[in-house]
Amino acid sequence: MADPLIDHNTASDPVLNNVAPYVAPISSHVHASGSNAQATTSADLPLRQSLRRSQSAYEPRVHDITEKFTRASNALDVGQLVKDDYFTLFESIGAIEIMDSKMDSGFLNPGETLEDDYDTLTPLLPEEIIGIMDQLLCYEMAWHTGYPLSQTLFTSVYIDKLLWPEVKILEQAQFYRGTIPDEKRPGPLLQALRAYCLALIKGCDFVIAKITSRDYFEEEDFCTHIYNRVLFMEIPMDVFLRELDAAMEVMKDTDLQINDALRSSIISRLALRKDLLRALDIDLPLEHISYSWPPIHTGIQKLKATHQLGQTVPGSFSTKMQRRLASTVPPRPIVELEFVDALEKLQYLATDCEEATRFVKLPQDPLEYQSFLWSFASRSPAPLSYARSYLATLLFHPGVLESAISLPLLDVKALVFPASSPVLDPSNWTYSPPRNALLSKPPRLEYAMLIDDFADRCGQPYMDLWIALGQNRCRLRRMLTHVIAGWDILQSDASLADETIASASAALGVAEQVFENPLSSWAYHKKLWMLEKILLLGFELDVYLPDEFAGQYLFLSLIATRRRDLLFKIEAHYNKYLSSLVQARNFPDAQDVEDALPYISSLVLNATGTAALSLALARFYIVLLYLRLVPVPARPFSSEQLRYEVRMKPFLGFQPPEVPPFEDFAEHVKPYGAYTSPNPGFDADIGNSESEIWTAIEDALKSAKEAFARVKKLGAQAARAEGVKGVWGKDVQARLASCVAAGVAVAGVKDAVLKRGEEGLGVRVEIPESGEGKRYAEGWVVGRVVKE
Amino acid sequence: MASSHRLNRRSWFSWAKKDTKMHNDEATFWLSQFIGKNLRVHASDGRIFGGQMKCTDKDRNIILALAHEYRAPAAEIIRKAIEESGNPSASVPWNSRYVGLVVVPGQHITKIEFEESTLPGQKSAITL
Repeated sequence: MADPLIDHNTASDPVLNNVAPYVAPISSHVHASGSNAQATTSADLPLRQSLRRSQSAYEPRVHDITEKFTRASNALDVGQLVKDDYFTLFESIGAIEIMDSKMDSGFLNPGETLEDDYDTLTPLLPEEIIGIMDQLLCYEMAWHTGYPLSQTLFTSVYIDKLLWPEVKILEQAQFYRGTIPDEKRPGPLLQALRAYCLALIKGCDFVIAKITSRDYFEEEDFCTHIYNRVLFMEIPMDVFLRELDAAMEVMKDTDLQINDALRSSIISRLALRKDLLRALDIDLPLEHISYSWPPIHTGIQKLKATHQLGQTVPGSFSTKMQRRLASTVPPRPIVELEFVDALEKLQYLATDCEEATRFVKLPQDPLEYQSFLWSFASRSPAPLSYARSYLATLLFHPGVLESAISLPLLDVKALVFPASSPVLDPSNWTYSPPRNALLSKPPRLEYAMLIDDFADRCGQPYMDLWIALGQNRCRLRRMLTHVIAGWDILQSDASLADETIASASAALGVAEQVFENPLSSWAYHKKLWMLEKILLLGFELDVYLPDEFAGQYLFLSLIATRRRDLLFKIEAHYNKYLSSLVQARNFPDAQDVEDALPYISSLVLNATGTAALSLALARFYIVLLYLRLVPVPARPFSSEQLRYEVRMKPFLGFQPPEVPPFEDFAEHVKPYGAYTSPNPGFDADIGNSESEIWTAIEDALKSAKEAFARVKKLGAQAARAEGVKGVWGKDVQARLASCVAAGVAVAGVKDAVLKRGEEGLGVRVEIPESGEGKRYAEGWVVGRVVKE
Repeated sequence: MASSHRLNRRSWFSWAKKDTKMHNDEATFWLSQFIGKNLRVHASDGRIFGGQMKCTDKDRNIILALAHEYRAPAAEIIRKAIEESGNPSASVPWNSRYVGLVVVPGQHITKIEFEESTLPGQKSAITL
């Protein structure tokens, strides 16, 4: 007989390749396929040996070392560790202690069983089906708000049954596995629940796919862990839709004896699940997305009205499910979210996503996109991770960003290259470089190459800015401080390009028509804009304490003033260029330039208003600091200078420097010396209603109000925020309201100071908290003066 | 291998059996061989933890990295499987899951096994 383990391939090296666990089947196989007689004869004895050895290779030898291990560890000194050199104490802290009920999710109390004896095949009442469906929805939304699946959906016994053991085809995903007697088969109600659960799981898969497909996401907002379960990733969506349809058919069947109210509420839940699954679909074509969210709202209304029909089923959700999940964390309680809150979250999700779908319809203009992103990030309550990923997916969708001309370049053009600027003349791109590389290129070709290079160069910083704008407020602020550093480098690179542009323009004799340092001015403008946003976000997110308001608003005013001055120069260039075009009787181009002017004017006025309002508030808070109306916490371990450095740290490296030296800053923030002991000039000034201390604030407020009113009048179109007109209008209005509120507050304090008697001012200042609708505009903190 | 020979040889003598107290140096050396090696630690509640040993101490607390938890199926499930298949030796899978970095406290350890993962013919570097 042929040796059982001989095979054609193994003849050369039988020792390593023979891996059969037992002999009989292999030998029959060898017989069937015809064995290699040569090999058989050549290796009789050695192969028997190899068989024994190969078996031992596949059965790892296990040695009981308990006794010696115990003796050895007893011999160790107290406190002595035998450990891996690379294993640190820090790491060991993360270890889960086995048999500790608080940490070990697999720990069982005496008499406790691993699983609840909940039978998923027990027939349920229709009320109970509704109860379970609604509870599942609560957990789904809790998961959306950031809790892990192990504390939410995966605590459902039904979901667990469907997912584990893993199945290859959907038909096998039942509340049981294998075959069961017919009388135990789930009835129509359980089938409906199954269809609901399946669609829910697939929805989760879509959500995870959408969120993780983004370039940037963080687990701190959303937990994508699926604990080694596969959420039907491979199975296409239409299968789930069919399951839902079939379940709805069954429910509609009049043979099913069930109260009509219950019937229709189960159907409406299935219908909502279907709409939701469709809306979450990651492959939904762009032209359909705007229709996918509105049905959710009607579905929510139906659920709201019928929730009280439901009945909870004790035991259908259990923390014990966590013991079955791959888990490296201690057991945690189930997250409870009220049904009303869950519906509210779903409503926000649907509204935010619906809003995001409008992005697709925006005019193709990077400035419009920017306004849209900014207003989306400012939505209140803040959009959930899913909604943000949803917008980000649309933002970077190839079908949306299809553009003949680079988007950053469109942005540059809108600011510094008015229509028909020679730099962007299309004919520039028709020149070919001289054959001899030593010859200088024609200036027009120089323009074209520079612009192409620059468009490439600013792609990344531009993308970074957009990605940052897609984050929540806190991260947006943090990320902007990093993005802005990239723009600082871009600015210095741009100034090199500007030199070449200047020489080319001089060679062409069109220097008059080209704005001085166009590219670096553009980058600088964007940088200052971001800096303003970072500071305003600091106020909005309560990063600054009330006693820092004065300094930070002063800094903001400085930045806004710089931006305004830059914009003034650009505006002047526009006007000069316009008049030269009119003189040359080039009316079509003149018209184009004139059409572009409102955008510049809107920017100028915005910067003016920001500079004036922040100056007014800075001065106002300085006065309050001197009057001791703002709480100053005791800070025994830091100095003012160090705190200033820390605050300004992200901006210290900028070229040109934006942060004034500390001495300079301190002088402006403390015009009358230390707040605790102001010099006598302060008392004289503060008591005089005509003194500069008061008039400066009032004048600044007046000009801020004027500027914002004019911004409003120019409208959203001029500000390139047509796509978010409503939000934009409210934002401008809020700034106007802040000006008015600041006026009232200043008048209140002034009045109190002028009338003050022996017992003090008789007023106090309340700082409105952020995020509670107490501020007119979140970034503009106006203290409220209250009589005591 | 050489030292194990020596041990074997020593086991001829009756006094070698009684030598239960280990010296600290010897114990440290012997234990440190298992660092990074796969151990199976049986806990007092019947679960088995398999993973790489990272650390141990005088109280026999053992830290395992990349550990999996294995739990014998409940009696109920075994009975059901046997009833359904009619075969008294029907196989029922153990439940296992990944638990990552764990520390098994010494007082809960009932048995420690070393999983030798050398290829056939390869000499083991570990003195048992």
